[in-house]
Amino acid sequence: MSEAVETTVDEQDIDLTGANQILDKYVDFHGALMPALQEIQEFYGYIPEPTVHLTAERLNIYTSQIYGVLTFYAQFHLKPRGKYIVRVCMGTACHVKGAGRIAETIKDRLGIVHAETTEDLKFTAEYVACIGACGMAPVIMVNDGTYGSLTVQKTDEVIQKYLKMD
Amino acid sequence: MVNLTIDGKQISVSKAATIYEAAQEAGIHIPVLCYAKKLLPYGACRVCLVEIEQMKGRLIPSCTTPVSEGMVVTTTSEEIKKVRKTVMEFLLVNHVLDCPVCDKGGECDLQDLAYELDSTSNRFEGEKFDLPTDEVNPLIERNMNRCVLCGKCVRVCDEIVGYGSYSFINRGFETKIATAYDRGLNCEFCGQCLSMCPVGALLPRPFKFKARPWQLKEVDSVCGYCGNGCTVTLGVLGDRVETIRFNDKIGVNDGNLCIRGRFGYSYVNDQERLTKPLVRKDGVLVETDWDEALQVVSDGLLKAQGGQGVGFLSGARLTNEEFYLLKQFAKTVGTENVDHSGGECYKGVTEGLKQTLGVAASTATFPQIDKADVILAIRSDFYETHPVVGMVVNQAIRRNDAKLLIVADKKGKLNKLPGAKTLLSKPGLELDVLNAMAKVILDEGLAQTEGVEGVAEFQASLANFTPEKVAARSGVDAEALQAAARQLASAKQGVVLLAYGLPYQGLNKELATAAANLAILTGIPGREGGGLYLCGEKSNSQGAIDLGILPQNGGLGAQAMLAGASNGKLDALYVVSEDPLSSYPDRDKVAQALEKVPFLVVQDIFLSPTAQLADVVLPAVSFAEKDGTFTNAERRIQRVRPGIPSPGEARSDGAIFSALAGKLGNNLSFTSAAAIFTEIGKDVPAYAAIGFNELGAHGKVWGGETLSPASRKLVAVGGGTTVEGEFQLVVGSALYHSGTVSTKAKGPLAVLSEAYAELGREDAKDLNVAEGDLLKISGNGAEIKLKAKVDNRLPKGVVFVPYHFADAEVNRLYKGEPAVSVKISK
Repeated sequence: MSEAVETTVDEQDIDLTGANQILDKYVDFHGALMPALQEIQEFYGYIPEPTVHLTAERLNIYTSQIYGVLTFYAQFHLKPRGKYIVRVCMGTACHVKGAGRIAETIKDRLGIVHAETTEDLKFTAEYVACIGACGMAPVIMVNDGTYGSLTVQKTDEVIQKYLKMD
Repeated sequence: MVNLTIDGKQISVSKAATIYEAAQEAGIHIPVLCYAKKLLPYGACRVCLVEIEQMKGRLIPSCTTPVSEGMVVTTTSEEIKKVRKTVMEFLLVNHVLDCPVCDKGGECDLQDLAYELDSTSNRFEGEKFDLPTDEVNPLIERNMNRCVLCGKCVRVCDEIVGYGSYSFINRGFETKIATAYDRGLNCEFCGQCLSMCPVGALLPRPFKFKARPWQLKEVDSVCGYCGNGCTVTLGVLGDRVETIRFNDKIGVNDGNLCIRGRFGYSYVNDQERLTKPLVRKDGVLVETDWDEALQVVSDGLLKAQGGQGVGFLSGARLTNEEFYLLKQFAKTVGTENVDHSGGECYKGVTEGLKQTLGVAASTATFPQIDKADVILAIRSDFYETHPVVGMVVNQAIRRNDAKLLIVADKKGKLNKLPGAKTLLSKPGLELDVLNAMAKVILDEGLAQTEGVEGVAEFQASLANFTPEKVAARSGVDAEALQAAARQLASAKQGVVLLAYGLPYQGLNKELATAAANLAILTGIPGREGGGLYLCGEKSNSQGAIDLGILPQNGGLGAQAMLAGASNGKLDALYVVSEDPLSSYPDRDKVAQALEKVPFLVVQDIFLSPTAQLADVVLPAVSFAEKDGTFTNAERRIQRVRPGIPSPGEARSDGAIFSALAGKLGNNLSFTSAAAIFTEIGKDVPAYAAIGFNELGAHGKVWGGETLSPASRKLVAVGGGTTVEGEFQLVVGSALYHSGTVSTKAKGPLAVLSEAYAELGREDAKDLNVAEGDLLKISGNGAEIKLKAKVDNRLPKGVVFVPYHFADAEVNRLYKGEPAVSVKISK
């Protein structure tokens, strides 16, 4: 049987030059699968399937094994992610202070829940355990920006701010 | 040795043993799920927990814990039983209990364990998986709801097969075994995983709902496909072989099998099998009885022998006993024109090895490959020609850090093994690369020349084979070539592998000679551990050579017989278990001979394209119906046992030869295969030392595990010639098939049903060809059309076509040369 694999149509056109350049560094570096995948994710924003096959071929690791690693660690993403990652803290303090309502608001305004991405690839929602800012509960992060002591209205303002940005 | 006590029994075992192995040796039962003899210890299932006096306070997994001096082990106590039972409860929390419809029922380790531990209730409740079964692939049914995550399938596919289909994916409760991206299985379908699975998660689909295990009659025999000679256990229900079971307890090659051996059995049950003799009357083949058929054959042969003579063309899947009878029958007819497998492809053994080492066989056995430190694989990918040898190579590399060197015209699976170094040569120039390696070894003073004949002449003959010159011709990197030569010379236990067979006819004598030269220079033949292996394509290729199914005493070889038949110098051809029209190189030449010869007898199990041209067709039987012996490529003589009765009136090849010889006045009736085997010993001295009844589960290797060469003579061989032209066609064996008979077997056909032309990505891009496009391939005055297969195995300019499929007529292009210059267009 053919070793060719079905890939989603838009992924077929992915330019592998970047992944190839990253892998160049790791070809003779035994046991460096994780850093290679991390760099690939940094470059593409997620791990596109063609880069997995490329990694398997170039580092001589089974595709299945790489897939095992990718699905084990929460840090790897197999689907494209939004430009803005909205991390909603679901830790104890935030939970008590109404994190559920904040998540609801995001779902209502952007149409996404945990691990989902808007169709225009602008936002990805992630519910996380604790981001270590309990004093500001309930809190969310949008990429590196932190927004605390949120209410539904404040959350809306944050979302509007990012919606207006590119 | 280490002394320890298990359940009060004093035991002395090797210090490398685990507690579990020690207990097994002492006949003490410890239950296991994730342990397998041929895999590395893993410790996933926690069922084999035992108590150790010196490590009180916790239970220790016996399958991963090595023994130590003075250890006192208890394998059963109330506490251990309680813990094991709890482990079972955990396993059964999410395991579906669909035993009534599970094909594993009756031989399921989990079922047996539940019975043993009396696990009737479960204190825990939890979610059950409801995962869809893998219905995509044709051969291996995967029902992950039944999986106990022992990881055996993951491990066997990595440690032994080297393919890596499976991995654990996800985390925690969600963990499951899956392929990359959790798609349907799409692999080599060797089925090693399902032979390992302790539960019904992996099952052979063709066997589904065919029989309960206890209904099957199990018959240990030898696989009828390649020269690997793996033990197969026929699972027989009534008069059908319903499955092939593996046996890692007694099996040769550790019970490992490939797709052909495990799934390629259905042809023996095929409705199209010949069941009655056929005789041509008024131009049409019509069914008749044996009396008439034998009369027509003996009359025809007598008439021909009175005229220009008779020739016998045999295949290499007869038993040794049948080969013996064939020879006696030919003598009765009065001819020395006897040959097998097209008469050319085996000359690497009969001439190449003979002129260098003075023997005509591999010098060592397969298990020795496992211990090698350097392995040189030449030309064909062993994963395709002899898959189970490929698995041994994989184990040598992964477990024992063997270094693999490959000299070949295309990449294959061997190239993907860890650390494999490939010298990718232009087709036909592998010979030059071997010569250059020999030159490097000699020039750098690395050669072992003590007791070696012809060193000076040989060295002088290599003037034109400097690494640089050969690099320029063959495309191999000169430095890599030198490094490979030095590595081979440094081997303490070296292995040289070369396969032969109908699609690898070109330069086979020269390549075998060059391989033998290299082996001699590096001290390989005759040294314990490692050796030079020439592996035949068919299940009894070695037997055919041992028994002398070769032109002797001035007899004609196969090619001379075909030429004779074409130009009126031969009046009859008797073809046995072979389809020359489909499988011999140069179809036109074969067709002409078969059409022109006045009398053609074909003895086979199917009405092959060759049989369709015959005057008489005699129905023979398959390996599953035969009693006798095969000799595999490591010289191992093994028992072939009949599992099913022959269909209709079909008779074994041996019985047909005896009957015909009887008609011609020579009584060849023997009481049994054993009686014939004793006779063979009188003709073949190496076989005389072996008793038929001594052939146990592992058979017997003639000449000993390490065969001492009779001579060590270096013989100069010239180089190959570069094939000009834009594309070079090389033919060969595809992994899933063996010869032409596998194209009648449903399993291999389900995975690969037709021939293809394989190109590299770069060529495909240049030609604007996509996978599946129809290509016109022309060369040698002929043109064939094949679907394209595109991947990254082939270097630019090389196209590969498997030779198994009769209707592809690849042998109109391929006439026995190492590579054919062809043109390709859409």
